Amino acid sequence: MSIRLGGVCEPGSTRVNKTGGWRTFRPVYDYDKCIKCKLCELLCPDMSVLEWENGYFQFDYDFCKGCGICANECPKNAISMVLEEK
Amino acid sequence: MKEIRIHGRGGQGSVTAAELLAVAAFEDGQFSQAFPAFGVERRGAPVQAFTRISDAPIRLRSQVYEPDYVIVQDPTLLEVVDVARGTKDTGVIIINSDFDPEEFDLKTNAKVMTVNATKVALDIIGRPIVNTVLLGAFAGATGEIQPDSIVRAVKERFPGKIGDKNSEALLEAYNQIRGDAL
Repeated sequence: MSIRLGGVCEPGSTRVNKTGGWRTFRPVYDYDKCIKCKLCELLCPDMSVLEWENGYFQFDYDFCKGCGICANECPKNAISMVLEEK
Repeated sequence: MKEIRIHGRGGQGSVTAAELLAVAAFEDGQFSQAFPAFGVERRGAPVQAFTRISDAPIRLRSQVYEPDYVIVQDPTLLEVVDVARGTKDTGVIIINSDFDPEEFDLKTNAKVMTVNATKVALDIIGRPIVNTVLLGAFAGATGEIQPDSIVRAVKERFPGKIGDKNSEALLEAYNQIRGDAL
């Protein structure tokens, strides 16, 4: 991405900056417990919960910062936060 | 004079670590200075902080370009920043990681050491804040500073329980890395 005259940037430039590296804990689904309630998708501040065609969800680890809101709010405790190896 | 560069992300406490190190060195009876350099000022952006320690008054005010020691708070920074830039052959690079130093292919002759500061912080402090832990590791790896001086600086800055736990954690890191350093 180059910056044009006047410093106006293209929209959507945050996609370039993959913020997944900030994580200390990685959220992991237990699909046996998931009831597809969509709370995790609704509450994720980084739009890192992506819906699959079958109605279940997966995480976009390129941008998930590991804040843990999804795991905290999940009514079935279907999301566990696992320590990242790095 | 010894120059230290700390790499971290905004919010991880790199600036605090640099300041604590300077205060600790001062407690040790040395001259010291500390200051940060930001790129973009926001959480998560790569941050550098510098400390200089010397027996004599320090007149230099520039950023640290050829550090004796480098501390890396977050190994994912290695993909974004050249943490080895300007390191001396006699230098030491301390990385917070659960991998062995051999896993890191840095273009440097400096000695690379790792300490699992995140684990130490989670076990003792209960939060993944590693700046004080890495200061303990720094003391153990380099012998440039007494761990007790860092403990004093930490307790002064964070009175009460937080200071106690941070002190405990940094002494644990000190003991862990001490064996590799000798």
